Amino acid sequence: MREQLEKLKNETLTSIKSAGNVELLQDIRVRMLGRKGELTALMKGLGALSADERPIVGQLVNNVRDEIESALEAALAAAREQVKAERLKSERIDVTLPGRHAASGSKHPVSLIIEEVCEIFAGLGFAVAEGPEIEHDWYNFEALNFPPEHPARDMQDTFFVENNLLLRTHTSPVQIRTMLKQKPPLRIIAPGTVYRCDSDATHSPMFHQIEGLMVDSGITFGDLKGILTVFTNQLFGQKTGVRLRPSFFPFTEPSAEVDIACVICGGKGCRVCKNSGWLEILGAGMVDPEVYRHVNYDAENISGFAFGMGIERIAMLKYGINDMRLLFENDVRFLRQF
Amino acid sequence: MKVTYNWLKEYVDFDLSPDQLADLLTMLGLEVEAMDRLGEGFDDVVVALVEEKRQHPNADKLSLCRVNNGSEVLDVVCGAQNFKQGDMVALAQIGAVLPGDFKIKKSKIRGEESCGMLCSEKELGLADESAGIMILPDSGLVLGTPLFSALGLKDTLFEIGLTPNRADCLSAVGIAREIAAKLGLQVRYPDSAVVEGGEPVESVVGVVVEASDLCPRYAARYVSGCKISPSPEWLVKRLNAIGIRSINNVVDITNLVMMELGQPLHAFDCDRLAGKRIVVRRAGEGEPFTTLDGQQRALVSDDLVICDAERPVALAGVMGGLNSEIENTTTCILLESACFKPAAVRKTSKRLGLHTESSHRFERGIDIGGVARALDRAAALIVELAGGTMARGALDVYPGKCEPVSIPFRPERANSLIGIDLAREEILDILTRLECRVVEGAAGIVQVEPPSYRIDIEREIDLIEEVARLNGFDRIPASMPIARITSDRPSRHQQLEKRVRNILVDHGMNEIINFSFTDPGSAGKLMLREDDPRRNAIRLSNPLVDEQSVMRTTLLPGLLETVARNINFRSLDLSLFEMRRVYMPSAGDDMPTEPIFIVGAMTGSRDGDGWSRPNESVDFYDAKGVVEALLELIGVKGASWLSDSVEPYYHPGKSCRIMAGRDQIGSVGEIHPTVQENFGIEKQVFCFELDFEKLLKNSKTGSSITAPSRFPDSTRDIAMLVPDDLQSEKVVECVKGVKAKEIEQIQIFDVYRGKGIPDGYASIAIRIRYRSYERTLTDDEISSIHKKITDSLINKLQVTLR
Repeated sequence: MREQLEKLKNETLTSIKSAGNVELLQDIRVRMLGRKGELTALMKGLGALSADERPIVGQLVNNVRDEIESALEAALAAAREQVKAERLKSERIDVTLPGRHAASGSKHPVSLIIEEVCEIFAGLGFAVAEGPEIEHDWYNFEALNFPPEHPARDMQDTFFVENNLLLRTHTSPVQIRTMLKQKPPLRIIAPGTVYRCDSDATHSPMFHQIEGLMVDSGITFGDLKGILTVFTNQLFGQKTGVRLRPSFFPFTEPSAEVDIACVICGGKGCRVCKNSGWLEILGAGMVDPEVYRHVNYDAENISGFAFGMGIERIAMLKYGINDMRLLFENDVRFLRQF
Repeated sequence: MKVTYNWLKEYVDFDLSPDQLADLLTMLGLEVEAMDRLGEGFDDVVVALVEEKRQHPNADKLSLCRVNNGSEVLDVVCGAQNFKQGDMVALAQIGAVLPGDFKIKKSKIRGEESCGMLCSEKELGLADESAGIMILPDSGLVLGTPLFSALGLKDTLFEIGLTPNRADCLSAVGIAREIAAKLGLQVRYPDSAVVEGGEPVESVVGVVVEASDLCPRYAARYVSGCKISPSPEWLVKRLNAIGIRSINNVVDITNLVMMELGQPLHAFDCDRLAGKRIVVRRAGEGEPFTTLDGQQRALVSDDLVICDAERPVALAGVMGGLNSEIENTTTCILLESACFKPAAVRKTSKRLGLHTESSHRFERGIDIGGVARALDRAAALIVELAGGTMARGALDVYPGKCEPVSIPFRPERANSLIGIDLAREEILDILTRLECRVVEGAAGIVQVEPPSYRIDIEREIDLIEEVARLNGFDRIPASMPIARITSDRPSRHQQLEKRVRNILVDHGMNEIINFSFTDPGSAGKLMLREDDPRRNAIRLSNPLVDEQSVMRTTLLPGLLETVARNINFRSLDLSLFEMRRVYMPSAGDDMPTEPIFIVGAMTGSRDGDGWSRPNESVDFYDAKGVVEALLELIGVKGASWLSDSVEPYYHPGKSCRIMAGRDQIGSVGEIHPTVQENFGIEKQVFCFELDFEKLLKNSKTGSSITAPSRFPDSTRDIAMLVPDDLQSEKVVECVKGVKAKEIEQIQIFDVYRGKGIPDGYASIAIRIRYRSYERTLTDDEISSIHKKITDSLINKLQVTLR
């Protein structure tokens, strides 16, 4: 029995050593240690032995089994490592082939700029307000201090609809609508679509503006300058120079055109800024008392400022677009770049 | 408004370069939009003397000259014949660049060296035509001096973009006044002293103003014995420099004085005025009148006309008439200087499409106090340049003389509104420099009378603006406002709009923006039914083109046009969306409504030209899939898809309405082949359309979350034959109808028609995943539920299990 065991052990260890792959090793395990395995059979044979012999031989069989088991484990582990190593050695893919993914979409540049500008002003506590695009003459012009037959109306070529309605020429009527609904303090930003009957490489009959309005007590023109400086620095970069120069809008006084140092040439002068070093990006001013009168605010006790900018203009500057028509042709080769 | 540097220098002694002046004007609110440096770059064209002129040995028409430029004597070949030895000429030296990028180089002409060119006025851009080279006057010109400096032609033209409030700056003097105010200098007004003689003006001509509401002031002078002739060179050049063509001395004077002082003037041939009188009245309805440009125009009763005793002779403030214009034979002149109501001039000029320098000024308002000065200035110039005698006195019908307004002004209010801290004296000094009369009043309030030409200054705020402007916007410190906190979270509407845009972009769609106006024919192209409310679009009264004449009631036409345009550019795989307003008329006087819609279109292959997946075309389920994802992500639960009463622009068998509860929230489907053709698209397009307001209404957020079960799952499949027209949704509903809480998920994993399946039937396979929250389910439990399901399918839907 002892010799028989020893022989079985040696044979098995030899075959484990020479097996070399996982399948053969598994076969050995089954043949030796399985339910119908040789060693298992030996174990079952122990019952035939005397009570004295039984523990001794039993111990012996156990030792042999342990030895075979650990040899098997070691060999299996080695074989598995071998398999892994071979896999790692042989498996190769072309990592330069494009990945598998859903097509990525894009927001229209006009939406992108509106989102960005609103986000900057949200950080300054400005809420988003909206108004109709088909507007009453009163909101679009009269309440904003454009009297009928005033040449200031020529600044904005207007599309008319019947019943004294028109397509709003600017987002400024939202100022009026908001002030009629709310009392100061007021901080709003109003993005929207506007229309003027004008069409060429730099004018589109439909375009977009963002209007801003802040009314509270003690607001100064210096505050307007401060807010616009913060805004332009956020939008165009930390050190963008800002210049306000006097201008005229019927609904603000004093009024200003706001220029930024040319983002193309940095102020040195180029084709885009017509060699002036400055780019006009928005109009602004202190709300005219006449406007307060139309919305029943007391101009003596509150003050505020308003500003408005063209989204397309900003998009063109930010993205280096030189023809406004590209924005409304909706060519996917253009849109996919955003 | 155009004005030149040298011209402004006549009125104010500033010490600024043209660039500095441009900057100063721009920062005063008179934006210099363009600068044209006259004579710039011509420094290599100099004054030179022809010391010797002889025949070119090899060319009959050329001469060989020795030309002295002050420092050396050069050989120059010249083709002109109009000069002689001893003439002063304009020499373009080597290196000079003449207009048209013509570079002067050393050259050999027929074997003779030429070191420059003798120039004609045309070659220097000084005249349109010229015969021969330019011969300079030989008085006092220094050889070698750049020609343009020597002749005083070096100048800078400024084009100033004026805002409509600054009518006072529509003149050289007006702009000079601004420079003077900014720099604290004095303005020299042009000389308007008159020399009168002959009979009193009243004895020759008369003026009656019938429509004094539209013409608050009408002044006139009479000059007889004039001779109409070409203007002297200085006058021609001055007008040319600002783009005005010279006509004759008298007309040029009226234009010059208008550009100097801002007062439009008109000169009538007095001998052609019936009765030698002027009547200012409203036109008769339909009254015909031929303006100076030869156009006959029908007038209306709102038009103000200047008439003689019988008929109109000018359209007040807009344009004179052909019947009384100055001709070469004219000798007697009635010169008009008047003030007309801005709105009246504007109406007439707009209606007739006649925009003139004169109407431009009257529309914006002229200086009623300056009417006489301009009249005198022009009359004096006429006597000076055209001779004749000015009748004694001027007619001046000015019944309601305008008194200056007195505006109460608080200097500290200026400081507090602008955010500066100027001393009271500084503020008042600014106003004084603007020619305002400043009088200290009670309680620290100052009474300010602006000059009559500043018609834009009426209120305290106007004065505050002037303080800010003259002091300089650049000297206002930027500050951050101190404000009360307000609560301003974006509305649900705004949040959802942003969310929808993000979701569609995340699903690979490109956002487009089309014009809000469209072609009235697009409703027909979509095959909308005759009674469809979307056919009733809001019309523009003055569209640019017919294709953009109605406000869109649906976003689909724009979307389909975009698809067609992109396909034309060979972008074949498209996934586009637009989220914008449409415009629906309302009944009665209500404002139109502007609901937001979302439309999407997909066409082409699903995976582009990918290497790793089969190149399949998108279909209905791609479009539906995006909609499903969108609805799920924004919390619109329980949508149903109804294939009845679909929109006419879809394929009737491949489209449906989308319902959320009782609301129809949109539709999805393949575009009808005819509609596709109508838009010039040659491939299948799958579209969806969603009503934003209805999405908002049905969007529920913040539903509670269930914790996942900890017990194992088990799946069972059912394959069945169903009648071909049975909608798969019915199968799923039937399974759900068993109401077993152990059903975790039902998935349709295969739909098959064709080989092996009898005609009129389809094979559908579903996989049901069972799981309990309480325990591990036994085989028996699962089998029992599963059997209930199969029984129900068989009994209720008559399916056959496979």
